[in-house]
Amino acid sequence: MSETDDKVIEEGSEETREQADSGNAGDEEQSKGLPTLFFFIGFIISLVVGWVVFPAILYSSKKQPVDFNHVIHMELVDNGCESCHFFREDGTFSGAPRLAQCVDCHEDIQTESENEKVFVETYVSNGIEVPWYIYAKQPDCVFFSHAAHVKLANMDCVTCHGHIGESTSLREYEENVLTGYSRDIWGAKLWNMLTLKKEPWERMKMDDCAECHLEKTGRKTSIQTQKDGCLVCHK
Amino acid sequence: MKKERIDKKFGMVIDLDACTGCGSCMVACMAENNVPFKKDETNKLDSITWMRVYKLTNKKPFPETEICYLPRPCMHCEGQHSGHSPCVSVCPATATDYDMDTGIVSQIYTRCFGCRYCMAACPYHARYFNWWDPVWPDGMEKSLSPNVSPRMRGIVEKCSFCFHRYQLALDKAYVKGRRELKEHEYQTSCTQACPSGAITFGDLNNPDHQVHRLVKPDNRHHGRPTAKNAFRLLERLGTNPKVYYLSSKEWVRRAGDNYLDNEETGKPLNLMKELQPEPH
Amino acid sequence: MKLDRRSFLSLGVGASAGITLSPIPWKLMDDLSIWSQNWPWTPVPPDGKATYENSACTLCPGGCGITVRKIDDRIVKIEGMTGHPVNNGRICMLGLSGPQLLYGPTRVKSPMKKVGEKFKKISWEEAISEIVSKLDKLRSGGKPEALACITGTDKGTVPELLKRFLTAFGSPNYLRTASVNDSYEIIMEQMQGVRTIPGFDFENADFILSFGSGIIDGWGSPVRMLTVNSLWKEKGVKVVQIEPRLSNSAAKADKWIPIVPGTEADLALGLACVIIKKSLYDKDFVNRNAVGFENLKRFVMNKYTSDQVEKITGIDKSVIEKMAVSFAKASSPIAICGKGQGRTPGSINEFAAVHALNALVGNIDKKGGVFATLPPDYIRWPEVIMDGVAQKGLNTNRIDGVGSKNNPAGYLLNRLPKKINSSGKSPVEVLFVSGANPCYSMADTHAVNEAFDKIPFIVSFSSYMDETAKKAHLILPNHTYLERYEDVPVSANIPEQIVGLTRPVVKPQYDTMNTGDVIIRIAKSMGDSVKDSFPWSGYESCLKQTLGGSLNKLARKGFLIAGNPRSASGKFRFTPAVINSDARIEPEGDANAFPLILIPKDSMRLTSGFIGSPPFLVKTVSDTVLKGNDVCIEINPETAKKNNLSDGDYTVLSTPKGSARVKVNIFDGIMPGIIAIPRGLGHTAYDDYLAGKGINYNSLVGPVEDPVTGLDVAWGIRAKLS
Repeated sequence: MSETDDKVIEEGSEETREQADSGNAGDEEQSKGLPTLFFFIGFIISLVVGWVVFPAILYSSKKQPVDFNHVIHMELVDNGCESCHFFREDGTFSGAPRLAQCVDCHEDIQTESENEKVFVETYVSNGIEVPWYIYAKQPDCVFFSHAAHVKLANMDCVTCHGHIGESTSLREYEENVLTGYSRDIWGAKLWNMLTLKKEPWERMKMDDCAECHLEKTGRKTSIQTQKDGCLVCHK
Repeated sequence: MKKERIDKKFGMVIDLDACTGCGSCMVACMAENNVPFKKDETNKLDSITWMRVYKLTNKKPFPETEICYLPRPCMHCEGQHSGHSPCVSVCPATATDYDMDTGIVSQIYTRCFGCRYCMAACPYHARYFNWWDPVWPDGMEKSLSPNVSPRMRGIVEKCSFCFHRYQLALDKAYVKGRRELKEHEYQTSCTQACPSGAITFGDLNNPDHQVHRLVKPDNRHHGRPTAKNAFRLLERLGTNPKVYYLSSKEWVRRAGDNYLDNEETGKPLNLMKELQPEPH
Repeated sequence: MKLDRRSFLSLGVGASAGITLSPIPWKLMDDLSIWSQNWPWTPVPPDGKATYENSACTLCPGGCGITVRKIDDRIVKIEGMTGHPVNNGRICMLGLSGPQLLYGPTRVKSPMKKVGEKFKKISWEEAISEIVSKLDKLRSGGKPEALACITGTDKGTVPELLKRFLTAFGSPNYLRTASVNDSYEIIMEQMQGVRTIPGFDFENADFILSFGSGIIDGWGSPVRMLTVNSLWKEKGVKVVQIEPRLSNSAAKADKWIPIVPGTEADLALGLACVIIKKSLYDKDFVNRNAVGFENLKRFVMNKYTSDQVEKITGIDKSVIEKMAVSFAKASSPIAICGKGQGRTPGSINEFAAVHALNALVGNIDKKGGVFATLPPDYIRWPEVIMDGVAQKGLNTNRIDGVGSKNNPAGYLLNRLPKKINSSGKSPVEVLFVSGANPCYSMADTHAVNEAFDKIPFIVSFSSYMDETAKKAHLILPNHTYLERYEDVPVSANIPEQIVGLTRPVVKPQYDTMNTGDVIIRIAKSMGDSVKDSFPWSGYESCLKQTLGGSLNKLARKGFLIAGNPRSASGKFRFTPAVINSDARIEPEGDANAFPLILIPKDSMRLTSGFIGSPPFLVKTVSDTVLKGNDVCIEINPETAKKNNLSDGDYTVLSTPKGSARVKVNIFDGIMPGIIAIPRGLGHTAYDDYLAGKGINYNSLVGPVEDPVTGLDVAWGIRAKLS
């Protein structure tokens, strides 16, 4: 069968197609099954590429400079998370602790921990700030008010940050190679890439914020979106 | 009993008698909001100045000439019905929005894709396009404030009434257990800097605020000022701006809108009356 | 199994279906759009802890207090200091632009030595030993007077250290750049017996008569003047502005009275005549607290009747009489002078005549009047130790001629270029320049540069690569005011004695050193008696010892009020010696060859002193002042018509000193026959945001000496357009 013939048949009417099919009765089984098989092969391969290979390429994993143990520190402080992640007097949130806070206790090596040794020798002795990777870091255009959520709405840290305070080790930070954003913001879990979300801290995109704001505050002050105003979270 | 919450409507009153045209407000704005600068800023069409001081003259010959300076921030127009400001209603990207809670017209830089429809719609030339990427000479980027996001080429920017100052002031109030701000806690950078004290800023809906007392806005008539000598730019266009001006000079008030020679300033336009034929 | 076409297509369809159901298209679309919003070259300012520190601004003599906003160790904003007696929370655009000067490209980043035409980075040790060897040579050659020094101010510890160094070294040639205060100091000494700058109690005055002073264009302490201007509006205080051009000050005054430039003294005497004739003067004050009234009376009655003054000044007789009556009838009227921002001194008889008006109405040493406030007196150091060389050097004549014959001026820097240019070999062999940029700011730039080219060794202490630093052989960059401690005595016509303190708000950004420290180090490296006069280990210890207990208070509050308005000791003298109408200052040039008159215009939006305008300032300059790199001149439509010019035309502006291509801006608010050109443009140094824009007014004008004081009092120059 020449290519030209095939084309004629392909583009021909149903009748012609049937004629052609009956002419190849012996191959019928095979030619019916093969396209389906290849469909599924293509389908599966691309799903694997899309769901396994693509995320692996899209995110580059980065080890935190020091493997911090939250559990040990939580036992030593009185005021929970706010002992180290505190509000400044002007209402801004301090975020990841600075060296100055750590030095109070870690001027010298206190324990036999390898991590503490790295921390003291590399950072404390040289007076260099630890370049922590912030899992929950929002892009520059975002203004996030910890005060509004924690002080005004009395929300718990866990609500948005999950159970990081109960961790003994810091997991790897995953950076989106295209945007430079943290994976925690743009969907930590594979299913977040669909619209699914199991826990609030799995994804913190704009729509997640807007949805929660609408649900909790009921404010529809934005004329364009009938949701909360743009400048509530943008700068 | 739940108290009815009245929306805030932040606005500005600029006393043109006091304004000396020194230009502090322009630089206070640029320094506060990370506004970039170029080597040649003399083409004023592409020179980004969220706050711009215009020079008006009475066009009379020497020695009767008079000058008046008029600082022009974004007017944060409310329009004839809630939030129908000229720019917001045309934005195809939801990049500019009117916030009913504060009355501030926002501009979200990362959302804007630079069609400049809003610039065409704005009757006050308050919006500026970034024709080039901002460049700070080596080392000068250290002076940039983290509270305002620097913009990039290809987007539109404008005055935000220093909204980040509102955000920061609220944060400070929240940690002190307060929900509401006092008048002085949220002031724009230009208001704070003005050496002449010509700029007043506050909540136009709050009768205790100075801005309300200065212009006595009539909210039943789209915020029309009822105080003597108070006027708004292009009042009769119906943009309902939130920046008011005070001037004791008639020629200055007249310069604020397109008046016919026989028209009086400070009177609402009655189109029906104007259009009715004279009775014979 | 054969992969036929159909199967292949199925594979494709399957793959497409799979891709569609995978995150690739959706996530990629999302991420790419975010990627397109975040170019790596758009800076993301790092967040951190916000702190505020109080300090003092030194960018002009105004003496404002500033509050510096920092994020961690970066300065992100400068605001006015709330509660400061000068500016109370308010600030001008130059003060706001401070971070641009700190972090800008015009900084000199380390000590530099000129090798050939270029600067080479050197170490502080090398730089200091280089200076010491040059200075040693002068002393061992017995010519210590060949060292000269130019500073921008002579108040405060750093200028005092320089002065002390010169004295210990043996040179009398410590000079300071001129300003309107030179004229005022002389007038205050001759009329009130106190050599000081007058303090005007504007806050309580109720009538202001300004003889061309740019009340809101940067005269005196600019932010204070702007604030007080609003206060006047609120209280209904009348302001009358007398000048040939509708400046902002004139525009905001209650009345603008155009005057033939240079005849201000005549008008003041004419007003005095009306006041005396109508017997509206303060008889009590004149009889009890003044001498020489009869002389003045005779003088003005004879030569300055309203008719005569009308002819001289071009102001209508009735306007003069009305103005005189309103002035005299006000309860606290103040008359001020010093044109524009007061960059240049003024004719001594103009100052005397204007100040005589304040005395005629008795508004001296009282609320709402003029105070003879002495500068704060806190610098009390041990006597300078001088060896024979120093004593011999100090006995030589000052290079500017001050002190030789009954000359009332303190410094006559304006004479230096001529002195050097007329000598075969420069009498100045080593020149220190600190806090001044004479190669830009002195009249007749060409002659000044020629003179500086002849000086064998110039040392600049500038933090910035300005015109004078570019001419220097050695630059020893000072910290900027945001990186150093320094006392800032305020002397800007404020009645109270105020001292501010700059502090290191950030650590030095570059390899710079406080000029005070450099002087002490140079002194200590000198072999002989010079070092004995500098007992301090460094500048900070010197400052601590000088201020003593006040330092803590200064450091805490940022300012200190050292003294209240003070009463003058002597009787007021209406001295005829200075009121001498024949001493009217005429502009240089031939009236036939140059039929027009060029005057400078000052604005808050351009600096014209030591500090060059930072990018923010240049950005705010109107396109009717600067367009591209072309400067616009202001002329009346009538002048334009006579010269066949239309708005926007280019023409050549020529004066006896130089010529330049200019753009025409036709403006009704200027007298016919007058051309106004902005001051503060035409820099050849600094960065691309300032250099090469417009024309330097000083390159078009030459110095005109006041016959009494010798100060350069040129207020303009004759010019033509072609």
